Amino acid sequence: MSSSNPEKYTKRSVRSSYLSTVISVSLVLFMLGLLGLTILYANKLSIYVKENIGFTVILKEDVKPADINQFQKSLDASRYVKSTNFITKEEAAKTLQEDLGEDFVEFLGYNPLLSSIDVHLKADYANADSISNIEAALLKNEEVKEVYYQKSLVDLVNKNVKTIGLILLVFSSLLMIICIALINNSIRLSIYSKRFLIKTMQLVGATQGFIRKPFIFRGIKHGIYGAFIAILLLSGVIYLMQKQIPELIELQDIDLFVTLFAFVILLGVFITFVSTWLAVRKYVRLKTDDLYY
Amino acid sequence: MALDTIIDIKNVQIHQKENLVLANVNINIEKGEFVYLIGKTGSGKSSLLKILYGELPLDDGEASIAGFNLKELKRKEIPFLRRKLGIVFQDFQLLTDRTIDDNLMFVMKATGWTDKIKMKERCSDVLSKVGLTGKGFKMPHELSGGEQQRVSIARALVNDPEIILADEPTGNLDPQTSEEIITLLLDISKTGRAIVMATHDYLLLNKFKARTITCEGGKIMDSKYPN
Repeated sequence: MSSSNPEKYTKRSVRSSYLSTVISVSLVLFMLGLLGLTILYANKLSIYVKENIGFTVILKEDVKPADINQFQKSLDASRYVKSTNFITKEEAAKTLQEDLGEDFVEFLGYNPLLSSIDVHLKADYANADSISNIEAALLKNEEVKEVYYQKSLVDLVNKNVKTIGLILLVFSSLLMIICIALINNSIRLSIYSKRFLIKTMQLVGATQGFIRKPFIFRGIKHGIYGAFIAILLLSGVIYLMQKQIPELIELQDIDLFVTLFAFVILLGVFITFVSTWLAVRKYVRLKTDDLYY
Repeated sequence: MALDTIIDIKNVQIHQKENLVLANVNINIEKGEFVYLIGKTGSGKSSLLKILYGELPLDDGEASIAGFNLKELKRKEIPFLRRKLGIVFQDFQLLTDRTIDDNLMFVMKATGWTDKIKMKERCSDVLSKVGLTGKGFKMPHELSGGEQQRVSIARALVNDPEIILADEPTGNLDPQTSEEIITLLLDISKTGRAIVMATHDYLLLNKFKARTITCEGGKIMDSKYPN
């Protein structure tokens, strides 16, 4: 301790105690932000995977091009369709020839394939039940001969997405509780060290609100500082991840990042506010003798 | 109750946890009186003072202090009671994280002062009353025990209270400094404030004679009313 300027020492020691609270808050918020980021990417990925699920509408032989065009437009306009792609019977034959490696049209003497429309669904409808309902509705159209999709693949994708979602939910709930407990603990320790000051403030006639106010302002300030440090760290992580895995840029959604950052700030403010309020409330209600236990 | 009565205690029972330590306490203190409260450790002196400043609830009996009825005192009224009192402790209980000036300023802000010029004037005024002019910039730990107790007394004087309750204010001080503190408190009582001082220091009692209330054997003996 610098005996020449003890006031500076006291201020430095108070600042260092505040700093440790801010660091604890920022690290905990960073962990929560990372989890939020994982959930956002997982959600985006599940939407991406689901929207690649689709089915093929096989059209009847004798449907006129104008009717096909009209039918495709009606599909595009429906609420469950993300995109459609019309494939003529010639294009289908060409693709199959490439896959088989031989010219089956020449061998058979005719093209047995039919024109079709590949339909990609919106993520919300990419499940077996919805597809089954859509299939039933489509089959009522005169132009449609058959609707084809891989039911087992749809089920598998949905099952895996559900399982991953559940694991993330349980994990994030646990982490959230741990984070709240850690921040709460840091703040309680910081207030505990000031319990005698709080009691002195009461003894000179300060009201509970007057005593609580500066603690709560400081708590919120620490929450905001912690949140900004956490956001800086998260931005660094996002940058590094996108550098290492460039495909992630396709899943990037600036609005969601902004929402995540706002959530981190709000969470920082909320947890520090509640923890400070509760901790100060506890010490203003304790009798002097109980402060020693 | 006489017009000049500032503390009026009737048939109060004082408990420490489950044990009754003082029974049938009847005390009447007038404005400007200096009263010693003496007794062994655990005899109930501090508990009596704690009841007077609202730290302990009054369960049995009736008591009023500075116009507050302690029997009906609500939790949110306690700060307003304490603004009418000055409280001085053995361990000073200063705000150790701020200067002497800021300690006094805190009391003023907490009790509704807003005019900064008046606050500074009051700060200098009370510091000069306790002989600490020019030391307001110091932190509490930079002062001696006697000086810290003077700050504590200055703090008690900030709101010009009608009563000062002092719980063993000389308990941590050497004899000479103790005498200085008692002299200061006696001077303050001459300005019309009642002072109730709990103490163990019988040497001081003999040197600076005043009304003495003794807590002994679960009872109160008052030198003002020997019978």
